[in-house]
Amino acid sequence: MALLRNRSAVVALGALFVAALAAIAGLTTGPRIAEALAARAEAAIASAGAAPVTAHFASGSGWPSRHPTLSGGESLDEATRDRAAKAVAAIPGVGGIRWADGTAFASSSDAPVEPLKCEEDVAALLRARTIRFEEGSARIDAASRELVDEVATALRPCLGSIIAITGHTDASGPEPGNLALSRERAEAVRAALVQRGIPADGLRTSGLGSRSPVEGLEPADPANRRIEFSVIATQPIRPTPVDTPGPR
Amino acid sequence: MPIWLELLVLMLLAYMAGLAIGWAIWGHGSVENDGNG
Repeated sequence: MALLRNRSAVVALGALFVAALAAIAGLTTGPRIAEALAARAEAAIASAGAAPVTAHFASGSGWPSRHPTLSGGESLDEATRDRAAKAVAAIPGVGGIRWADGTAFASSSDAPVEPLKCEEDVAALLRARTIRFEEGSARIDAASRELVDEVATALRPCLGSIIAITGHTDASGPEPGNLALSRERAEAVRAALVQRGIPADGLRTSGLGSRSPVEGLEPADPANRRIEFSVIATQPIRPTPVDTPGPR
Repeated sequence: MPIWLELLVLMLLAYMAGLAIGWAIWGHGSVENDGNG
């Protein structure tokens, strides 16, 4: 009993005992848990209409596991495979899913609809009219202020996204000057939008000078002086990849 | 991860949590003179 007088020996013995208990419990109940999950997964896959897909509830070294590897069903379309994977993932007790022929990473299947819509709205506004600047300067023309108001309103549904403001000029004048001017104009639009309540940290500006003229226009055409908006990143709230396994 | 390994990790965590709680409550006595205040 001298061993029991040593506190760390007692703690270590306890840990060993707990580990042994866990190993015994895991080894005896594991196969049954995996079997039950496999049966439910088979039913779920069948009801998703993806019968050739099989869920294999075993770890890489062959032990029973809650994390299935899905295989088969290569002839099925991605949507069906996706549905089968989601059905299996929805079974209580099933952990993360991977496809045998893919990675453990899942791609989200929901499209970022809202940001694209507001990008289109802004594009539609700017197709009809353009934000004009005073000749050779970055001051927004008085008549264009109203248009900036409308752009700010159209961008509002995209709050939380990162919006790129790109300035362009025509090819008249030296290019270094054009580059600086296009950048300053983009900055001016950004400042105007911030003034109208669009958060500054979601707005990125850049100037391309006369490098990318409008398709079908001569580089020197004054219509190339323009500001373009695009949504470059969206940050919608999404479930973690483990919860929504993709087809691959 | 195999089921037995998940169980092992969980049970060892629970054991450590139990030790921590026990230490927090009864703390500073040793095994030799426990209960003697």
